[in-house]
Parts: sequence; C-alpha cells; structure tokens
Amino acid sequence: MAFKIASSPHVTRNLHTSTVMQRVILCLLPGLVVQCAFFGWGTLVQVLLAILVALSCEAAVMKLRNRDIKTSLSDNSAMLTAILIGVAIPPLAPWWMIVMGTAFAIVIVKHLYGGLGHNLFNPAMAAYVLLLVSFPVQMTTWIAPSTVALHSPSLVESLQLIFNVGAHVNMEQFRLGIDGMTMATPLDTLKTDLSMGLTTTESLTKAIFDGSTGVGWFWVNLAYLAGGLVLLKLKAIRWHISTGVLLGLFVASSIGFLLSPDNQASPLLHLFSGATMLAAFFIATDPVTAATSPRGRIIFGALIGVLVYIIRTKGGYPDAFAFAVLLANLCAPFIDYYVRPRTYGHSTN
Amino acid sequence: MLTLLDQLDKGTLWRSPGGIHPPEVKFLSNATPIGQLPLASTYLVPVPQVGENCTLAVKVGDKVLKGTPLTQGTSIWHLPVHAPTSGTVVAIEPRASNHASALPVNTCVIAADGKDTWCELVPNQLDDLSHQQIVDKIRSAGIAGMGGAAFPTHIKLNPVSEIDLVIINGVECEPYISADDRLMREYSQDILAGIGIIHRLLAPKRIVIAIEDNKPEAAKAMQAAVNQCGLPAGSIRVTVIPTKYPSGGEKQLIQIITGREVPSGSIPAKLGIVVHNVGTAFAIHQAVTQGKPLVERVVTVTGKNVSKPGNYWLPIGTPVDHVLTATEFTPEAEQKVIIGGPMMGHALANIQVPILKGTNCILVPSSQEIGSAPEEKACIRCGECATACPALLLPQQLFWHAKAEEYDKAASYNLKDCIECGCCSYVCPSDIPLVEYYRIAKSALKQAADEKQQAERAKQRFDARLARLEEEKLAREAKAKEAAERRQATMTGTDKNAVAEAMARIAAKKAAAAQAATGGATIEQPATAELNATATDTTAAPKGKAAVAAAIARAKAKKAAQANTESTKTHSVETDSAQIDSSANVDETESATDVIAQEAPLSQKDKVAAAIARAKAKKAAQQTDTAPLEPTETADSTSELNAADDKKAKVAAAVARAKAKKAAQQAETNAENGLNQTATPAVDSKANVQADVNDDTEAAATDINDAEAIKKAKVAAAVARAKAKKIAAASAESKTDAEIESVDVIRAEANVASPSIAATLDTATTEADAVLPSQGSAAEPIETAQLSSEELKKARIAATIAKAKAKKAALAQEANASSDSSVTND
Repeated sequence: MAFKIASSPHVTRNLHTSTVMQRVILCLLPGLVVQCAFFGWGTLVQVLLAILVALSCEAAVMKLRNRDIKTSLSDNSAMLTAILIGVAIPPLAPWWMIVMGTAFAIVIVKHLYGGLGHNLFNPAMAAYVLLLVSFPVQMTTWIAPSTVALHSPSLVESLQLIFNVGAHVNMEQFRLGIDGMTMATPLDTLKTDLSMGLTTTESLTKAIFDGSTGVGWFWVNLAYLAGGLVLLKLKAIRWHISTGVLLGLFVASSIGFLLSPDNQASPLLHLFSGATMLAAFFIATDPVTAATSPRGRIIFGALIGVLVYIIRTKGGYPDAFAFAVLLANLCAPFIDYYVRPRTYGHSTN
Repeated sequence: MLTLLDQLDKGTLWRSPGGIHPPEVKFLSNATPIGQLPLASTYLVPVPQVGENCTLAVKVGDKVLKGTPLTQGTSIWHLPVHAPTSGTVVAIEPRASNHASALPVNTCVIAADGKDTWCELVPNQLDDLSHQQIVDKIRSAGIAGMGGAAFPTHIKLNPVSEIDLVIINGVECEPYISADDRLMREYSQDILAGIGIIHRLLAPKRIVIAIEDNKPEAAKAMQAAVNQCGLPAGSIRVTVIPTKYPSGGEKQLIQIITGREVPSGSIPAKLGIVVHNVGTAFAIHQAVTQGKPLVERVVTVTGKNVSKPGNYWLPIGTPVDHVLTATEFTPEAEQKVIIGGPMMGHALANIQVPILKGTNCILVPSSQEIGSAPEEKACIRCGECATACPALLLPQQLFWHAKAEEYDKAASYNLKDCIECGCCSYVCPSDIPLVEYYRIAKSALKQAADEKQQAERAKQRFDARLARLEEEKLAREAKAKEAAERRQATMTGTDKNAVAEAMARIAAKKAAAAQAATGGATIEQPATAELNATATDTTAAPKGKAAVAAAIARAKAKKAAQANTESTKTHSVETDSAQIDSSANVDETESATDVIAQEAPLSQKDKVAAAIARAKAKKAAQQTDTAPLEPTETADSTSELNAADDKKAKVAAAVARAKAKKAAQQAETNAENGLNQTATPAVDSKANVQADVNDDTEAAATDINDAEAIKKAKVAAAVARAKAKKIAAASAESKTDAEIESVDVIRAEANVASPSIAATLDTATTEADAVLPSQGSAAEPIETAQLSSEELKKARIAATIAKAKAKKAALAQEANASSDSSVTND
C-alpha cells in the first residue's frame, strides 16, 4: 500500500491563531467589566455593536474575495479588532460612529491591505484615529465615572443616547460630576488646567482625581494590566512589546516629572491613565503590525511609550496611544530591517 | 581553553537559544531490552551507502557471508558496505531508496540462507595496533555516524587540527526515539571501550558524555561505566543536560556544553571539538576489538500502530516492511511511516526500502498521535518561530521571501544556517510548513549556484580554446620565421645562379604574358587554351599556369559546393567522389595541379579566372614594356615586375580566400542539410587553397614575393581548416554514425593538409630567401658575388615594403573580391 507522505516536522503544537486570539479576547474581559462598572452599559453596547459590524464586514469582504468565510470568521481576529474599538471610544458615542469606525478598520485598513497578516496599520487604532480627527467633539466626550457622577446612565438611557432616540435624555447630564462641573477625562482635565496656569498639584485636587490618579481609570487600567499578565502567562503574547511600552513611557515621564514636577503629570498618572495598560498589552502587541524580532519588539514598544509621552505632553490631544501606535507601525519594517538577531555561528557585526 | 576546561569539569551548562518541548512519548519503546527480530528472506543493501566512489566486490550469484564486504574503493571518502547476513547475491539493480524522494539507487539484493554465518572475524589486541591501523579498521568496518547524518567516522577520527574536547552525544532529543537510551543502559561498558579507542586516537583534554535528563537510567549506567573505565581520572565525565529539542543537534550540543558556536559554514573541529554518537562509539569498539564490521544497529520501532514497539538489533539492509510485519504493524487509512523521529524524520511512500546505517527509528503513529497537517493559514507575524529557532534566524522573514520565491533575499537572511530542526513549524499558530518552504528555497539556491558554476566552466573552456588557437597561430608564425632564418644562414654563393635563373624566368614570363594578353583579350576560350599551352610548354611561366590552375580549382570547388547545396542523397555520392578527387589533389603536388589545369572543364568561372590571369599578364607585360631594356636596369624592372607579380599572386590568393570563405559559409548554412553536403565544400575549398599553395610554390622559384602569397594561402588554409573543424564539431552533434565517419575523413584530410602546407611554406621561404639577394645583385650585377650584409638588409627592407604594398592591395582586392569582373577591369 502507498503511505502518506509529508514534510517534517510531523507534529505541531496545536496552538492555532484562533486560540491565541480567543485568549486575548478572554483576557480583555476583566478590563471590560471594570470599565462598564465605572462608565455604564454604554461600553458593552458599543462592543456588541462593533462585533456585529466587524463580523458582517469580514464576511462580506471574504465573499467578495472568494475566500472561505467560515475560516476567516473563526480566526477571531475581526472580533478582537471590534472589541478593541468598542472599549476605546466614548461609551455613549452615537451608533454611526462605531459602525463607521469598525467598517473602516475591517474593510479598508485590514482587507484592502491584503487581509489578516498583511495590514500595515493596527486596524483598531486606525479606526480610532479616523473617528478622532473626524469627530473630535464626540470622541472626547467621556461621561463622569459612576462614583463621582451626579447621574449615571442606565442601560435604557445608554441605548437611547447611542441610538439617538428619546429626546429627554441629554448627554451633558451624565458628564456632570458631584461638584456640578462638567467632567472630562483626567488627562484632559490636567492638560486644560496646566494650560490655564495651574500646577499639577492644584489640578490633582479636582474631583476627577483620586489623590494621584484619575477616579475609575486607575481600576480600569489595573484590570487590563491583570488581563495582560495572564496573557503573558498563557504565552499568547511575549513580554517584549508591553515591557517596551511601559518602560518607554515610564522613563520619559519620569525624566519630565523630575525636571518640572509642577507642570508635568507623574509617571504613575501616565501609567494608570487613559489607555495605557489596554494599549500596552492588547493593542501594541498586535503581532501583524509590530516588529518581528525580540529586540526589534522592545525597540518598537519603547518607541510607542516615548511617543505617547511626547504627544500627551506636547500634542493637542489628551491621549496619544492611537497616534503613537500608528507611528510605530510605520517604523516597524524599518526596525525589522536594521534589528536582526545574530544568527548562530555568525560574528556580531 | 583552560577556563573552559574548568567549567567543563564543574559541569557548567550554557543556554542554547530557542528550542521546544514536544511530547516525548519515549515510554512506548524504552521499557523493554533491545530485542531481535527473525531474519528477513531478502536484504537490500544500497551500494555505495556512504561516499561516492567504489567498485563492487561481488557479482550476481556470489555467495556471501555475514560481514563480507560488498564494495571496495580507494578514495578517502569510500566507506565499504558489508553483507548483513549470509546468503546469495541475487540481483544488483536500482531499487527505491530510503529517502523522502524514494529515488532508485543501486542496491545489492541478498537472499538470506537463514544460517546467518559470520565471515572470519579477527579480534585484535588494542595495544598491538598503531593509530593508523585502528583508523583503517574503523574504516574497513564501514562505520558511519549512527546519529542520523551517517558521516564517515574515520574522517572525524583523523582530524587535521588538534582536538581538545570530544563530546559523546547521548542526548537523543527527538521524541519517540530510544535507541541510544537502551544502548547506553545495556552496553555502557562497550560504549566506554569505544570511547577509550576514540581517546587513544584523538588524545583530547576532556571527554564529555552528554545525556538529557529524561534518561536517568542511561546516565546512571554510563556514570557507572565511567567510574570503572581505565581512562585518566578527570578526563571524562557524564554531563546531564536539560531536556529540550533540539539539544542533540551537534551545533546546539556544543553550545550547551561549551558556550561556543561553530562558525557558520565551518566544522566543530575548527574549535577543537569533535562530537560522536554513543552508537558510533559502540560500533568502533566492535570493529576494533572484535573485528566486526558494521552490519547491524539498534533501531527503535515505535508508534501506536505497532503492537510490539521497542528497540531491535536490525541488520543494515533489512526491508522496513519486514520489520513492520515482525512487529505486528496494523496500518490505518492515511498511515504515515516515518523514518527517524517526528520532528526531522522523513515519511516513506514505499516501505520496500532498507534500514541504513543512519536509520535510528521507524515510527508508525496512529492518526490520533500524529494527524495530517492542517491547512496553511496566513502568517500573522507572531514571531513564535523566531523565539523557537535554535539558530536565531527570523523564520517568518525567510518564509516571506521563500514564498515569494525571492531566494536571494532569503539567502540574505542566512537561510543556509537553517538546520531544518522543525521548531518553527512546530510552534507556528498558522500551521505553515515553514521547513518545507526552506527546503524548496535551499534546493532552488543550490540549483542556481550549480548553473552558475556550469556557465563559469563553459566560459573558461571557451577562453581556453581561444587562447589555444592564438597560441597555435603564434607557434606557426614563429616556426616559419625560424625556418626562414635558418635558410638565410645556410645561404651560399651559388645564389648567383639562382638570380640568373630568376631573371631568365622573368624574361620568359614576360614573353608568355604578352602572348597571353594579345591572344585572349576578346575570345576567352582559346585564350584559356593558350594559357594551358603556355602552362605546359613554357616552364618559365609558372605563374600564369598557377593562376589558371588555381582558378580551375576554385571553380571546381564552387561547383561542387553549388552541387552540394542542391544535392539529394544520391548527389552526395558524387560529391563524395569529388571529395576523393580533391583529396587526391591534396596528396599530389605540382603534377596534380597540372592535371586539373588540363582536365577541368572550362566553365564560366574558369573563363573569368583566365581573364583575370590574362589581365594580370597584360599589366605585367605593359610594365615590362615601359621599362628600359638596358641590362643595368633590368633589376629595376625585375623588382617592378615582381611587385606586379606579387599583386597578382595576392589577387589570386584573395580570390581563393574569398572563395574558401564563401564555400565555408555555404557549408555552414547548409550544415543542416547533411554532413556530406556541407563538408565537401569545405574540403574542396581546402583543396583549392592547397592548389594555390602548390602553384605558388612553383612560382616562388621565380618570384620572391610568392612567399607572401604562400603566407596568405597558409592563412586561407588555416581558415579553411578552422571552418572544417567547426563543421566537424557541428556534425558531431548530428545523429548518424555515417556522418560522424565522414567528419573523421575531413579531419584526416585537414591533418594531411596542414603538414603539406607547412612543407610548402618551408620550400617557399627557402626559395624566397634565395631570391632575396637577387634584387641586390641585379642592382649591381658585377658585385653579386660579394653580398654585404648591408645590401641584404636593404633588399629585405625593399621586400618588406613590397610586401606591405602587396598587403594593402590585397585588402583592396578583398573588398572587390565579390565580383570577378572588377578584377578583370583592373
């Protein structure tokens, strides 16, 4: 009888792309839960909406490309992109924004560049930037964290706001803090205060801050950090990029803070505000758009960290991860070209 | 090295990058002692198995005993193969090989007689043997590396550089395989004896026996054996290393034990390190102390689809299907039969293939153990492969370029340093068969390199040929020059006579030429007849005769060529005869040309040629007429006449050349039409040239400048020869033997032609030299007897000028050579 022939190796680890993506999604859940706890049902609605749009777009594109729809949907990559967009945008942003952003991410950023594995830019961040530059007002309108808010939106109110039905619900009422002031994100607040001549210490006394970090945001970041550590443990991601990002941000912000503590945010505030932990473990670690060699990935991560610090401090936008990630994406091929590991048996030069 | 030795003694281990931890599954086979299987009915022994050059030592029908060498050879790379059992050689023929390709290899098929009788074995006392004797015994025992690569062991035991460290590889990192494990457990003493022999041969500072920590029993047994062996204390140790695939790879093991890397493209001996497998050490012991050649080895037979997994002593050459039958193999649909381990082994399509010296495992897994490969998905650049790569490559970049068939870029990412261990494919979440891509890329690169090398060689051959041709040309010229000088040196005073004779001849010629000119200006045929008459009657007019003869020869050649181009096969017989004719012409000399002159039919061409000759004669006559008749001035006219003659000769030669060229071209263009057809014109043109040369030889007796013509004729002949050669080369590619024979005929003729031309040239030169001083003597007839060297020199200069002029004229002539009428109008 004829026997089956195949090229070696004949065994594989059986850790497939879909499994890796699945693990990443699962590790996002703690952060998502905490985010919902502080900012209401809106985030969950956005995530579900994004997933729906992402899967539809993925299926439609696969159909157009004459590829197998099931294989593509089952790799979970579209779903991961959708969840990342969902958690990144303001919880009560109107529905058409997330639809537009997600469709842009899947159709244009991912598939027009060749699909999974071929896209140059991180789809979630590209979508975020598109929305941010197109609709800056909506994209920077965060509601007050539930612990310091006058009113927190219920599920129905969230849905009404997102889908723009029911005239009596007003976005502004959920932005009022217990002090009766409209609340922005901690980073935004600090940035505005510093530009108005206040010192960091003065700004930190505001209700949005909890001594040294932003109310709610600290816990959200902590939850993403925990999820990220589990990811590391599961070896779904490697430590290089995350460490690079956190170290880069920490070192840059420490230097800045030591030089002028009065008009700079502390490293702690940088590390536990905004999207820091989410980006460090779930966004920057997207392998497709990152550098490939271990050393290259550390450099890639550190670049993001430093860029985030610069944009947060000097840029016009309060948070900077989307821009920093996209800029680092641009640099990834360059990093790959120049940072190659020394092959066994080759001299160092 | 001292610090390294210290660290070796401390058992320091270094980290090898990358690597994976696949399921080991060694428990299937490592629990039972090494067993025996019943003898197979036939054994398949590939010859040669290792190394290239060998001659068979047996023939079909020979009776062989177990251990009888089947091959012999003298090359250092030759490694004999031995009969694995006693029996009869029933066939020596290509059979499927134990290789992924299953390409047939020459195989000695031995029908076992079932007795398994050993040939005579000569045990040795180790102390009685010299180093060389030991190495010879290892070689004649046919020992190759037993770890899988099957590199001839005697070469590794005879290194050029000093060896500081010998690593005995008992790592066996591939999953499933336990052959070395069992061997170490059961034959540790024998392995140590083998290590002792290696120690004696290489005298290393340290020997390290490396064993993975998943084989504690083996490590214990080896440690016990080390404690008992007689090797110097401290020079040998057992080092247990952490289990990780591929720690057993030579380069990785060296890195783990010493922290050093084998430079890319180099061998461990460069670092003073040699790695031997434990199985090899065992075989060395068997070969040297017991005289047993390598005819059997331990093979792990494992996988869920054999009922009796375990390790077995299998004669080399045992068919795999026999082994599987004996171990109760139950195949399933899409069964894989893997030779080697699951990481690097190759799957067999056909199991009628033999166990080889490097075969350490037969793995027949169930589909639950090792399923079929899942479909390849898109690379997400996760970098897991780069993390797993023990060679620190960037597998995803290699894949990227290999898939795009940008092999040069893949090479720039050090593709050649890939050891094909399979770690990258193992960890790939997208199920990409990375190693397969690398293999394809590697073979493509190898093929490209081979092609480049071939092209390089072809270019070298071409250059060498050009150089050779140039050299031959120079040699011919040098020879001619030398001959000329020799003759000049031996010249005597009797030259006076030669001068007188020459003058007489010139006078006669003048007369003849005048006659020809007046006789045949309008009516061509009679004129030719007249010419013929002059040729036969007047010995003093060889030039005209020669011209006619040459013209006729040319005409004939052309005719033959034309005939040939149009000829069918029946015509080719005729042309053959023409060929013979021209060959005859080559063989004969003066008389032959005369015969041609008289016998050749007077065609249009002949007439034209004759007309040319006439025109030339006329010109010469005119010149003579204008010259004053005073005897003192005869010399001038002579030289003038000579110049004219020279021109004429040159014209003739040029025409001949043109003809030859044309004929040759025709021959070339007709090369497809058949050899006889094409070859004949070439031969004819050669004959033509020959005729010219012969004519000119005659003429040279009267004319100094004919030497020039001869030279040219020689060149023409050389061209013709070259053409003939070319045609011969072209025809060498044609199919029928008959054609090839005719090529040989032509070659032979070419050979005949060349010496005769050389001879002709010699004579011509002699005569030319003889005539040379005559110019001087003609200028001062009274003092001809006392030829000063200065005068000679002058004469020579004059001759050179004349030659140059002639050459110039010849060039001009060549330009006009296409139309004969233009020559006539001159």
